[in-house]
Amino acid sequence: MFGFLKVLARNVLKGPSTDPFPFAEAHTPARFRGQVRLDPALCVGCAICHHVCAGGAINIAEREDGSGYDFTVWHNTCALCGLCRHYCPTGAITLSNDWHNAHLQSQKYDWCERQFVPFMQCEGCGAHIRPLPPQLAARAYGPGGFDFASFMRLCPSCRQLAAARADVHIPEASAMPAAPAGHADEPAIREGDANAVTVKGDETPATGVQQ
Amino acid sequence: MQDILVALFHMIVFPGGAFALTLGLLLKGLDRKVEARLQRRVGPPIVQPFIDLVKLTTKETLIPATANRTFFLAAPLIGFTGMAVCAAFIPVPGVYDGMPGMGDMLVLFYLLPLPAIALMVGGSASSSPFGAIGFSREMTMMLAYEIPLLAVLLAVALKVGHATGVGAELSLASVVAYQASTGMLGLDPVMLPALLAYLLFLPGTAGVPPFDIPEAETEIIEGPLLEYSGPALGFFHLGAALKTVVVLGLGVAMFFPGTVPGGIVPNVLWFALKCAGLMLLSLTLVKAATGRFRIDQAFTFYLKLPTPLAMASLALAWLGF
Amino acid sequence: MNLLKKLAVRSPWLYRINAGSCNGCDVELATTACIPRYDVERLGCKYCGSPRHADIVLITGPLTARVKDKVLRVWDEIPAPKITVAVGICPVSGGVFRDGYPIEGPLDRYIPIDINVPGCPPRPQAIIEGVVKARDLWLERIGG
Repeated sequence: MFGFLKVLARNVLKGPSTDPFPFAEAHTPARFRGQVRLDPALCVGCAICHHVCAGGAINIAEREDGSGYDFTVWHNTCALCGLCRHYCPTGAITLSNDWHNAHLQSQKYDWCERQFVPFMQCEGCGAHIRPLPPQLAARAYGPGGFDFASFMRLCPSCRQLAAARADVHIPEASAMPAAPAGHADEPAIREGDANAVTVKGDETPATGVQQ
Repeated sequence: MQDILVALFHMIVFPGGAFALTLGLLLKGLDRKVEARLQRRVGPPIVQPFIDLVKLTTKETLIPATANRTFFLAAPLIGFTGMAVCAAFIPVPGVYDGMPGMGDMLVLFYLLPLPAIALMVGGSASSSPFGAIGFSREMTMMLAYEIPLLAVLLAVALKVGHATGVGAELSLASVVAYQASTGMLGLDPVMLPALLAYLLFLPGTAGVPPFDIPEAETEIIEGPLLEYSGPALGFFHLGAALKTVVVLGLGVAMFFPGTVPGGIVPNVLWFALKCAGLMLLSLTLVKAATGRFRIDQAFTFYLKLPTPLAMASLALAWLGF
Repeated sequence: MNLLKKLAVRSPWLYRINAGSCNGCDVELATTACIPRYDVERLGCKYCGSPRHADIVLITGPLTARVKDKVLRVWDEIPAPKITVAVGICPVSGGVFRDGYPIEGPLDRYIPIDINVPGCPPRPQAIIEGVVKARDLWLERIGG
């Protein structure tokens, strides 16, 4: 019946369990979802983040002079869901762990992450493009030891033509294993083999189904 | 003329008025701090109730359009002035003898409900339905806890009266003087049920969980206090703080008056310390660990536990033990 | 006088208004008071039950059409001087419910807001930071 006395006594002996903020810094986990940040070097302008944003916080506006686009995230409508980070193909959008967001009403429309992402000219046709980030280029053209450095500053159409003109490596017919007898349900071309064949513009490996 | 001035001094400066106010607000701050520590929190600074009062003076007083202005504004003052005067009746052992020769225990019994009546008048004058609910709940609580209080007062009066041959001793000063020669009533086994009943009466009268039903924040949006703001609300808080000092001082005078050598200041500090000890035992400990009763549960609790205890002491005192 | 004003802002009493919120921010507000970890009483704060006792108003939720008149009425009942804090992204901009059919727009179309604390929901420490900023604004406003 008097168990609460034991609890109270234990509480007094243990002392306060209060987080010291605002009199001292609060502990913030490293992966805490805080304000959204953009790395302009990695952004390719695909606008997937704008499409999936839950709060409609992301705005991508091209400048009239064609020099690039302004990327804006309005923190006051960002729900910190992280969908932009999840779907960004290059990892340009990240969520920092900065949660110090309280601000005055006068700063309401300035409480943004603003970055300018510049366009560059395609070396083939002169169109305005964003350069292909190194990670994407490595995933698309890397397997097989292909030298893709010259593709990084081409627009997608020029890149298609350039890849078609470059040597496309196809392995010898004897290097491909025949379907063993009695293993009718195994695929003839296994996943690892298909990667050796570089097909223009298409980086998904062919997984054949045994007929 | 001199008597009047002395009486005024006792009512306005010590032990009524200023002294009781300071002590009451400090005790309230201590209560909040200790409650926080009991719940593993840090809690506000001990002078927080003073800061609350300063803040309340900077706010405006809004009066509902359908309220009765006179009673709405007069209600807080009823409780405040009543309790400020009551504090002059409490003897501080070793320093102040109280008002000798009067039946001041009965006077106190009549004046103690004043803050509760002030709450009720304020609640009904504010013309809000929550105020009306608070009114009825406060009335039920008063009925519940006044019975054990009366029984305890009579038990003490009869016990001291039998010993001194007067029948019933209703003057607090004489009760304190009797205990100075015979030993504290709190240590007397006959008075122990009365002491327990008084300790159970304290949370009810102070409006402290589990008995804070009339002012329930989460149920009836602070009941009678709903429409009060600014200095008017400040007077209600002052009245509540004064009432706490009066009932704690009454408990100390009836059960644990004891002096320490050294004159005025050590005795005043000793009195404050005893009040604080009684408060921590009966108010803070209970407040930190409980929720809130329903009004019918609170009523039956008072009928089932403190009343029989107090009646037991009353019966034993009447039989001459 | 100045000292009294400086003292006066050390006891901000908080009042919560739910203007159609999903309760996420309201849970965080309850957390900031009720659990020992983020104790608001250290700053002298107290959650009060009546709007008449409030100094700092914490509003959550986009203003839904159903609740709009009631919220505006309760806000009017709070005596001056008061500081209004919009907690969460919903009162500031409509949040994830922006442009929805029952949403009567961001709160500052009807009520003068003083401090914004975005987040969905903001961390309890972020809410405390907002309360501290509100307290400083209050001191400025009463001339201390």
